[in-house]
Amino acid sequence: MRSWEIFRFEIAYQYRRVSTWLYFIVLLTLTYYMATEIYIDNARSDGYFFNAPFVIAVMTVLGSLMGLLSATRLAGDAAARDVQTRMDPLFYTTPVGKAAYLRGRFLAAFVLYAVILLAMPLGLLLAAVVPGPEAELIGPFRPAAYLGAYLFLALPNAFVATAFLFSMAALGRRAMTSYLGSLLLFSVVVFSRGFVAGTLEWWELAKLLDPFGMTVLGELSRVWTPVEKSTRLIGLQGSLLLNRFLWIGIALGVLTLTHLRFRLAHHTAGAWWSRGARRADRETPMGDAIVHVAPRVRRTFGFATHARQMLTVARESFQEIVMSWGGLVLAGMAALAVVSGTQIEHMGVPLFATAERITAFLAAPLTSPQEVFGMIVPLLIVFYAGELVWREREARLSEITDAAPVPEWVYFLGKFVGLGLVLVALQALMMAAGMLIQVLLGHVDFQIGLYARILFGLQLPDYILFALLALAVHVLVNHKYVGHLVVAIAYAFMAFGPALGVEHNLLIYGSDPGRTYSDMRGFEPFIGPWLWFKFYWAGWALLLAVAATLLWISGKEADLGSRLALARRRLTRRAAGLAAAAVALILTLGGFIFYNTNVLNPYRTASDSLTWRAEYERRYGHYKGIRQPELTRANLRVEIYPGRREAEIRGTFHLVNTSPDAIDSVHLATKSAVNTTAVRFDRPAKNVLSDEEFGHRIHALETPLRPGESLQLDFELHFKPRGFPNRGMDASVVANGTYFTNDAWLPAIGYQADRELRSAGDRRKYRLAARPETPMLDDVEAHSDAGGAARIAFEAVVGTGESQVAVAPGRLRRTWTQGGRRYFHYAADVPIRNHYAFFSAAYAVHEGRWNDTSIEIFHHPTHAWNVDRMGRSIQASLDCYTQQFGRYPHGQLRFVEQPGDGVSLHASPVNISYEEGFSLLNPGGDPRDIDLPFAVVAHEVAHQWWGATLTPARVEGAAVLTESLAWYSALQVVERSLGPEHLRRLLSMMRGVYATPRTRAEVPLLRATDSFLTYRKGPFAMYALREYAGTEQVNTALRRLLERDGSGTPPLATSLDLYRELQAVIPQSLHYLLVDLFEANTFWELATQRVTAKQTETGTWQVTLDVKTRKVVVDTAGVETEVPMDDLIEVGVFTAAKAAGPGEPLYLQMHRLRSGEHRITVMVASKPARAGIDPRKLLIDVEGDDNLKEITRAEGQKR
Amino acid sequence: MEIQIRNLSKTYANGVHALKDVTLTIPHGMFGLLGPNGAGKSTLMRMIATLQEPDQGSIRFGDIDVLRQKDKVRETLGYLPQEFGVYPNVTAEQLLEHFAVLKGITDRRSRREIVDALLHQTNLYEVRKKKLGGYSGGMRQRFGVAVALLGDPKLIIVDEPTAGLDPAERVRFLNLLSELGEDAVVILSTHIVDDVSELCSRLAIIDKGTILLEAEPLQAVAAMRGRIWRRVIEKTELPELERAQSVISTKLLAGRTVVHVHSATSPGPGFDPVEPNLEDVYFTTMAGHYGGRGEQPVLEAAR
Repeated sequence: MRSWEIFRFEIAYQYRRVSTWLYFIVLLTLTYYMATEIYIDNARSDGYFFNAPFVIAVMTVLGSLMGLLSATRLAGDAAARDVQTRMDPLFYTTPVGKAAYLRGRFLAAFVLYAVILLAMPLGLLLAAVVPGPEAELIGPFRPAAYLGAYLFLALPNAFVATAFLFSMAALGRRAMTSYLGSLLLFSVVVFSRGFVAGTLEWWELAKLLDPFGMTVLGELSRVWTPVEKSTRLIGLQGSLLLNRFLWIGIALGVLTLTHLRFRLAHHTAGAWWSRGARRADRETPMGDAIVHVAPRVRRTFGFATHARQMLTVARESFQEIVMSWGGLVLAGMAALAVVSGTQIEHMGVPLFATAERITAFLAAPLTSPQEVFGMIVPLLIVFYAGELVWREREARLSEITDAAPVPEWVYFLGKFVGLGLVLVALQALMMAAGMLIQVLLGHVDFQIGLYARILFGLQLPDYILFALLALAVHVLVNHKYVGHLVVAIAYAFMAFGPALGVEHNLLIYGSDPGRTYSDMRGFEPFIGPWLWFKFYWAGWALLLAVAATLLWISGKEADLGSRLALARRRLTRRAAGLAAAAVALILTLGGFIFYNTNVLNPYRTASDSLTWRAEYERRYGHYKGIRQPELTRANLRVEIYPGRREAEIRGTFHLVNTSPDAIDSVHLATKSAVNTTAVRFDRPAKNVLSDEEFGHRIHALETPLRPGESLQLDFELHFKPRGFPNRGMDASVVANGTYFTNDAWLPAIGYQADRELRSAGDRRKYRLAARPETPMLDDVEAHSDAGGAARIAFEAVVGTGESQVAVAPGRLRRTWTQGGRRYFHYAADVPIRNHYAFFSAAYAVHEGRWNDTSIEIFHHPTHAWNVDRMGRSIQASLDCYTQQFGRYPHGQLRFVEQPGDGVSLHASPVNISYEEGFSLLNPGGDPRDIDLPFAVVAHEVAHQWWGATLTPARVEGAAVLTESLAWYSALQVVERSLGPEHLRRLLSMMRGVYATPRTRAEVPLLRATDSFLTYRKGPFAMYALREYAGTEQVNTALRRLLERDGSGTPPLATSLDLYRELQAVIPQSLHYLLVDLFEANTFWELATQRVTAKQTETGTWQVTLDVKTRKVVVDTAGVETEVPMDDLIEVGVFTAAKAAGPGEPLYLQMHRLRSGEHRITVMVASKPARAGIDPRKLLIDVEGDDNLKEITRAEGQKR
Repeated sequence: MEIQIRNLSKTYANGVHALKDVTLTIPHGMFGLLGPNGAGKSTLMRMIATLQEPDQGSIRFGDIDVLRQKDKVRETLGYLPQEFGVYPNVTAEQLLEHFAVLKGITDRRSRREIVDALLHQTNLYEVRKKKLGGYSGGMRQRFGVAVALLGDPKLIIVDEPTAGLDPAERVRFLNLLSELGEDAVVILSTHIVDDVSELCSRLAIIDKGTILLEAEPLQAVAAMRGRIWRRVIEKTELPELERAQSVISTKLLAGRTVVHVHSATSPGPGFDPVEPNLEDVYFTTMAGHYGGRGEQPVLEAAR
């Protein structure tokens, strides 16, 4: 019963403390706020209940993470308070016994934490009950959901967390070690969810590694349909059960270890690793009674001394952190950086480890907690700021130090500088790590200056500002644990401010509009505003520092009244001057920034943008579909001024009335990025409406435009950004790397339906008529909307800086220099889609040719590694596609590098742009030996047919005509140029997408809109068709499709047209396959259970396969229906696999199989090693790995 | 019940020989353990209090093997350590009741009685509802005594108890202790000689891990009679005097130096014979002229 007494006393002790309740209330509020602000949007847009069991479970796990801070305090206190208050001799000499003592304390900490975690379901209940969210978003109240989440998620998490933190504090004999424990736990959760599962995609390992179950839920989030999320309870099955067992077992093991190692005894100090090293410390006696007097020394006081003292304090603080566990953590981070940095890849292809890539990896912004160690550094700062501020008091030295003739600012500044030095050391370690990564990956172009600028010039100031905030808060809030809480809340605000509704960077401490570095653009144009913001926040930091110094705790008076009185007395002229300077800095810079972000530029929050779009639809939506003249020709004169970051365009549009009615007014949509002026028609017209805010103008023609008549529109536009907006600079025109599209700048005719709100949730919120996000497949009106497909004649003269090359669609007619500027005259050979871009940079050009098509690759001079490869791919693609689908209409094909560190490419007529990241792909280092850039280039070139020539209607399934066919075409090129083996490897890589957890509930391929269907399932389906029906047949269908619908005149093609063409070429016996692949969402479940082989007398082998087949159709709600099967499925027998690749096929034939279990017997000529059904995985089967099996010999065989 | 310590040795990990083959018998009653700082007193105390393990040797309390039956010892142990803290946010009454339960006093009514009695005894009854964080040093010490006395312990160990107390508190404390010696073994470990001389019926002197003397105070003092001499000198004369005589202690008196010298016969002119006290015994033993380091004591207590 001593155990009970210890338990009871501990509970009563913590129960009485304010911080316990503070944590409860904070957790409650946070849960409530997160649910109502963040999850409500998810629920609205993804279509599940806001109080769904799934949401409750996710919030519970998040709460376990957020509550770790309180668990740290409770467990650390319970375990180490006796030692830290030095009551241990009194406790240990009672007959309480080790087991009862530990058990009582641990259970008390666990129970308290479990009670605090009740704040989460409570907060969720409140959020669902207190009026706010729309009624239709609230599902039925299911106590089982709350109970289940609490019992299966919160309680085990609490047990694991308390076990670890308690053990660490008990064995370390300091509450501080439990802080490090919580940091470790937190990092493991984030690491397994974000990196192991998110980046490496090793989901099984990640689910086990994650002690809080976050990864398990993460997988469910991807696999469950919205209906499942709304209704299914999180139960103890499968991976969750395993995870709980494992971690509870680990926790029990840790507790047992603690029980064994803990001793109710006096502890002799001395770290175990220094025991041997130290010489015997003898107690030196006092000596004889004669006093030896120490010599007199001169002492100085004054500023120089104080400065030196400050440096001493700084050095002390630095050593304190680095020599303790903190140093290990820093070293660990560097090691972790090296390990994960060498893994950076895109779709499995390693990247060239340029300095730009590595620094982007290392220097994640302070407030992006998703990065691998994005959270660790702020947590370290929070923790060590507290340690530094409380150091003297905890060592009981404070009365001595307070009585020393040292002004307070010396201490504050010294500790700040010490912490700052630790951060500098961290950045130096990171730099070393980065260079090591580069060495390991074999790319030794170090660019130390870049490292220095990014790690020390950009990231370090963020850390320093945050460190000062942490220190100041700890001084002002004179309570260590509450201080930690406040800084943690401040950090959460900094990281999630926009999500919580605060978006202006003047209001979020330390924030700025963002900055990126790219090899082409450098730091431009983001550095200017970044600097202004940082100085502004430095002003605030200075003010905080002054406040902290004035309110520095000195002596025993700790209540607010005496501190304020003390502060008043400390207010020297210098302090007041500094404060005034800080305030002046804040006001002037703040004012300047505000002028830029709110006066020179419109300030728009995310919800403002939505409101704008809704209002646009409300005002002008009734003009949708009215007759407007069509653009047939664009003639542009573009002047780019890279140095000034300005551009202007003088343009002439030729419009024709292609409709059967007369048009009396022309609606012009102007773009907000530019200032459109001097709009003139070649006939009298009056400007009856000019809504600058919404970019809509109406010009009434004096004489209506008759059908067939044409109209000329002249305009001028200026791109001249003023100052900087809050959301970040517009980087369209920069010193090197200009890129803008016609959609972004040039005026458009008519009502812009693109501006409407798309998502159902948003439309409901703004009370607009419901509308499907993508028009339905059978929406005939959409088929006739030729918007995207209309062709225009294009001609442009582009002027740019002397050292740059400008690129626009069409043939380069001529280039000249005039007035210190270079000019390029482009004209398209044939009409192009009205979707193009302008580029200008100091490019290097790689030239090539295929027949009479010139091939040019414009690239940044140092990004030349893949250019040859790309050129070869373009040639091979042109060769293949011209033969299979028809002529490429233009005389030139270009790839142009555009600034940005992403890896995406975008196909426009004639010019295909690719981001800088793409040029960094290193297929030579790919262990799978797949030339991904080659394949991707082939895909993009294919878009010149699938997209530019054949432009589908904007309905469901449109992407099948563009993306799926483009990938299918690229597969052909890969096969022809790189060989069938290479194609097999590429397909294998693409099938890797099935390993990512996803739900099987999908629309059929004909209606596909999402990327998984259009980029993967579509090409797989086409490839399967090819293998079943024949390459020529399929290509014929595609050729016919292009011939019929490749003109761009409405009605535009849809996936149904492709389907009809395929139906025409594919034999009737295979039509079932067409239906299964395209019309229904069919999954085959094929498995080979056993294969045996027996050698016959004639030397041939008889192979027997036991297979199981099944076919299901899954609808969008996730309901699975088994359908009868009578399908042709390939059966194959192979020889033993050699070094790379599978063995040779001894037998590969189609068999007709029904559903159920079958035994198939085939004869082959030589010794087989593996066999199975659908060995090439042509059919859509999520579990493709069980198709092939190793052969075991039948019984009773001897030879 | 008495404590039998046999051949106790302990060397710390940093090389310090805290105890070297200590053999001691501590009988019933008040026992004083005298020695300078770093002599090994606290180490020895902690070992008897079950908080530390020796490298070698044994300790028996009656028929309980202290080293192996720690829990049995703790059932009847009261330990007041040299340094200890308290929970600042708890009241004396609450914490004392908590300890009472831990010491096995589970019945609520008898617990209340004992707690009240102890609070009265240590004169903390008036402030029993005050938080311990606000107690002065002396009050904290008294609280420690109250905890130590819970459960009527038969083995009471107090380690340097009067070091931080003002004169009045010290007298009160010693009075408190003297009442305890009746039916328990009370070990008082201190470097303040007066505490031992006032209270203890037996003492041991320990230095650098070895027992130098084990005797009864009165008899030890009697053995010194006629051997302690006193002289007042200038500070500068001291080194020469130290070379010539066995100076056992030096003190300051109104700015002049007073030396005590140990000698069988008069050391010379200017020296006056002095009635020895326990302090002289202590210094003489420490200087090596008496006890383990020098001549054997004239009288030994019966074992």
